Amino acid sequence: MKIFYRIAIILILQTLVLFFMIGMKQHTLNTGIPILLETQPVDPRSLFRGDYVRLNYTISEINLDQLAGDKDFQRRDPVFVLLKKSNKYWEPASVHKAYPETQPDTVIIKGEVEYLQSRLWNDETKVSEKANLLRIRYGIENYFVPEGKGMELERPQDGEIVEMVVAVDKSGNAGIKAVLVNGDVKYEETLL
Amino acid sequence: MRNSSFAKRIQKELPVWVEQGWVKPDGHQAILNSLEPSDSHAGFLSYALSILGVLLFGSGVITWFAANWQEISKLTKLILLFGSLWGTYCTAGYLIAADRYRNIGQTILLLGVILFGANIMLIAQIYHIDSHYPNGIMLWALGGLLTAFVMRSQPAMVAAIILCTIWTGMENFDFGQKIHWWFLLFLLPGFCLVFQNRWRFAAHAAMIGLLFWCLAIFEPVEHIWPKVSVLYLVQFYFLFYLGAGILCNLLYDDKHKATISVVRNYSIFGAIAGFYLLTFPRFQSGVRWDGDPQRITASLPWVIITISMMTIVVGLSVWQWQRLSKTEDTRHILWGYIVICAVNIILMLNLFVSGLYGGLIAISLNLLFFACLVWMIIAGIKRYDRYLINIAFIFFALGLISRYFDTFWSLLNRSLFFMVGGLILVVGGFFLERQRRKITGEIVIQQKKEAV
Repeated sequence: MKIFYRIAIILILQTLVLFFMIGMKQHTLNTGIPILLETQPVDPRSLFRGDYVRLNYTISEINLDQLAGDKDFQRRDPVFVLLKKSNKYWEPASVHKAYPETQPDTVIIKGEVEYLQSRLWNDETKVSEKANLLRIRYGIENYFVPEGKGMELERPQDGEIVEMVVAVDKSGNAGIKAVLVNGDVKYEETLL
Repeated sequence: MRNSSFAKRIQKELPVWVEQGWVKPDGHQAILNSLEPSDSHAGFLSYALSILGVLLFGSGVITWFAANWQEISKLTKLILLFGSLWGTYCTAGYLIAADRYRNIGQTILLLGVILFGANIMLIAQIYHIDSHYPNGIMLWALGGLLTAFVMRSQPAMVAAIILCTIWTGMENFDFGQKIHWWFLLFLLPGFCLVFQNRWRFAAHAAMIGLLFWCLAIFEPVEHIWPKVSVLYLVQFYFLFYLGAGILCNLLYDDKHKATISVVRNYSIFGAIAGFYLLTFPRFQSGVRWDGDPQRITASLPWVIITISMMTIVVGLSVWQWQRLSKTEDTRHILWGYIVICAVNIILMLNLFVSGLYGGLIAISLNLLFFACLVWMIIAGIKRYDRYLINIAFIFFALGLISRYFDTFWSLLNRSLFFMVGGLILVVGGFFLERQRRKITGEIVIQQKKEAV
């Protein structure tokens, strides 16, 4: 086979992989149902990829004792969380090991169990109490921002509220659609 | 000593030597020709330097993107990423097609593989793709494997194997609950390519990767089968690498000797390192520094796996015996087989006994370990194999030190322990090194004699 045909094969396949990465994310953003999530940000910096904000959602930590669904999870298990809209934000209603039956006005988001926590410190009683907590990763925990802007989102000024609009597609995959600061769109995701 | 000052001196002296009659006139030019720098060495140097240059350039591109990223629009970023990838591969293709710059073309291909990885990372950043992060490295490794396969590129193959090893490291150490079999699925076509193209460097990378994977799966294996697994896994490794070493001897031919000898050497290392681990009494009894022996007998899957591997090793040994007995003196090989048979019997017995008998098993394996090392030295002398002798001496020293620590740590006063240990190291090290040099030196002399 001629050298240039060979190079063409490599280029086409490698480009397709890169387009597939973009396409998958865009599919989630375009077809997914937008939901508003409350965040509690914290920050590191990626050596290769510049500044990014590490986002901690209220749905990232789930108390299994307070929710319906499955209870026996292991580290790295896939997890499906059924979210329902409460006043402003979407909040967990039940937790499942497999994709549950969909219900009206609900969204199912897919994640992975990061770790399980069996005890929780109670600030009021100053005693470590028994708990059944799941720490979940949804793949929406990192948001890359222009260099030097990370701290604005991570350490908001007094009274500032940072919220994330997340799109969740039919398979439960999630992607950050927009970042809101005090209800105004600060960053919005587009294809180009 | 092939350097320019030496060559100049010879050039200056040669006419005098010819005049004196020490060197024949026609030998004059032959000597000068032999002092010319070798093309293959110069070619290798420029190849190595260009690879180094590509690696530095690739790192520079990635860090430049990272530093200036926010100032560029999304569309420009994509044009830059895809443009650089396409431009690099097309340049590589052009250089390889113009046969004269084939080596430079190969190194530009490596730059293409590096840029493919940079594109994965940067597209993940642009579109906030934050999934299971080892997958990014896996995609990168697959891109490298594709380039190696399609372009028959050794640098791309080495890069792909290194990336695959990083990938399996991440999967095993960060998410280590299951054995990461995918690594082997990746390595298998990699090995086929390495053998087909006789890539020596890639063979080194593949064997190092395989040894790394063998170590990395300790944690998931222990998680799946606690209390017994790691010991039986090491037994399996010993048998596997022993079988691989014998297979390499059987497959050895002039066409593939460059790659097969690399695989054989790593296999011998893997087998003897595995055997060395099996000689530790605490490892055999399953004691974790204090407490009672914890090891229980092997479960059925381990019995099946171990006996199957033993059967393969025995089969390969018989095949080798049949082949060697026709051509050479096989007495020393017979002794080796007897030692290996005895080790196999102990390993099989070990499947059915608990940690209570760990001490007894360890003593037997220690005796066989040192017998095996002595046999390796004898076999090395008989077959003029310096690698076999060197590795045997290294593990002989390691074995002695380990047994000294095992035996005298609790028996001697601490200061006396270290003083005696230090003396043993100095005297023993001197003696072993002297013996090793003597034997390998004799082999070199013998080889030169035979060459003459």
